Amino acid sequence: MRDKVVTRVLPVFLLIAAIIVCVAVAAVHNINRSVTGSDWVNHTHSVILEAEALKSDVYLADGALHTFVLTGNPRDESACASALADADEDLEITKALTRNEPAQAQQVADIGGMVGARSAFLNGIMSSRSTGGPDAVRKALSDDAGGAALHRIKGAIERLKNSELELLTERDKASYLQAQTMRYTVWIGVVLDVLLLAASGWLIQDDINARRRLAGALQDANEKLEAKVKERTAELEASNARLTAENLERLWTNQALEHQLRYNNLIVESVSDLVFVLTKALNISRLNPAVTEETGFSATELVGQPLSRVVRAASRTSEDALAEALGASRQLRDCPGLLEDKRGGTRPAYASIVPLRDRDKVVGAVVTVRVDRQAPGPQK
Amino acid sequence: MSKHILLIDDEPMIREILAAALTSKGYRISQATSSSEAMAVAQQDPPHLIVSDLQLEDEDGLAIIAQLKTKLPDVPVILLTGVLFEPKVVRENLSSKISCYLPKTSTLAQIVDAVSRLVN
Repeated sequence: MRDKVVTRVLPVFLLIAAIIVCVAVAAVHNINRSVTGSDWVNHTHSVILEAEALKSDVYLADGALHTFVLTGNPRDESACASALADADEDLEITKALTRNEPAQAQQVADIGGMVGARSAFLNGIMSSRSTGGPDAVRKALSDDAGGAALHRIKGAIERLKNSELELLTERDKASYLQAQTMRYTVWIGVVLDVLLLAASGWLIQDDINARRRLAGALQDANEKLEAKVKERTAELEASNARLTAENLERLWTNQALEHQLRYNNLIVESVSDLVFVLTKALNISRLNPAVTEETGFSATELVGQPLSRVVRAASRTSEDALAEALGASRQLRDCPGLLEDKRGGTRPAYASIVPLRDRDKVVGAVVTVRVDRQAPGPQK
Repeated sequence: MSKHILLIDDEPMIREILAAALTSKGYRISQATSSSEAMAVAQQDPPHLIVSDLQLEDEDGLAIIAQLKTKLPDVPVILLTGVLFEPKVVRENLSSKISCYLPKTSTLAQIVDAVSRLVN
């Protein structure tokens, strides 16, 4: 995707480039026109100068002729001929200079005709002076009294000069207007480029500001996100640590309970006295190995049976005493009784009862039976 | 540098749980299952605290503690055992040999608190 600033600024730069190209083309065109104009001005001045030279040569030839007529000096004749030759040369140059300008060429042609006529006239007078004598010369000069032909030549040359000068004036005006146009073109181009550059600078600055704002917003968002991530990570770590601690605590509790239970079992089972755990109805719910060892009954044979199955009271009174002690939730120690084994034999023993409390309720009892080892063996 | 604690118990599960709990609190743990291992640790890297069981598989925890005390007389000792002693017994029979008695029915938090108190 093209960058937005490129999309916005590129047309402006293209416009600036187009203006620069236009101004450059106009400047080059103007330079070419100036060069051409300068050539034309030089050409026009040459025409004027040649026309002036032509006029001077015609006058010079005319003056030399008059001197020759008066003095008869061949040098003056030669000077007249030379001036006429120069005039012819000037005329030819002027013709050549104006050959591409029909109006001026026509004027020069007219002048050429007049100069040719004047040249023929002067040559005729010089011939008359050499051959015809003073009368013929006088007659020819009288025909030319007032120098009307010279005035016509002069007037024609002046008109040619004036027309050339008018052209120069028009050229100067055109050149001035062209220079002004060029100045306006250059200044307008410069101003437009400056304005467009300022506009593109503003667009770029605006884009930079927008990018800065965006970068700032992005950085803020990132910082907030990082802070949230850190916060969440810390929460998770704390939660994980808490769960780990709880898990360890639970493991520890379980193993402690298991250890304690095993340890307590070990103690109970290692007691040499007979231990019975009774329900509240005086039925056996648990016994230690000493019972099996002493009576021959296995645990499966006795669990669920009444205590009286193996422990009988020595008297009615003592049997009631055990039940009463349990009913009253109190201990009774060394109550005399008889321990009956699996074969039906009995041995004197002492029973103690301790109520089994679960919190504040009596749920059963623990009866320990100590066999009287001093008494004779089992009796049938 | 983290404090070094020597755990003496013959039950791997107990050692593992205690080591995990104390490691998570930043302590460095060494484990031993017998007096010889405990003495080796004490020799190479004297601990800042000893936590010992009482009834080990083949040995008496109090005997191991007495043995260690000859090398490390100033190191505090916690007796952590499943044997439930009466406070009076602890006071009169054990207090001269150990710094603290904790039954194994204590919570881990209580054990860690006792360790922290004695180490610092």
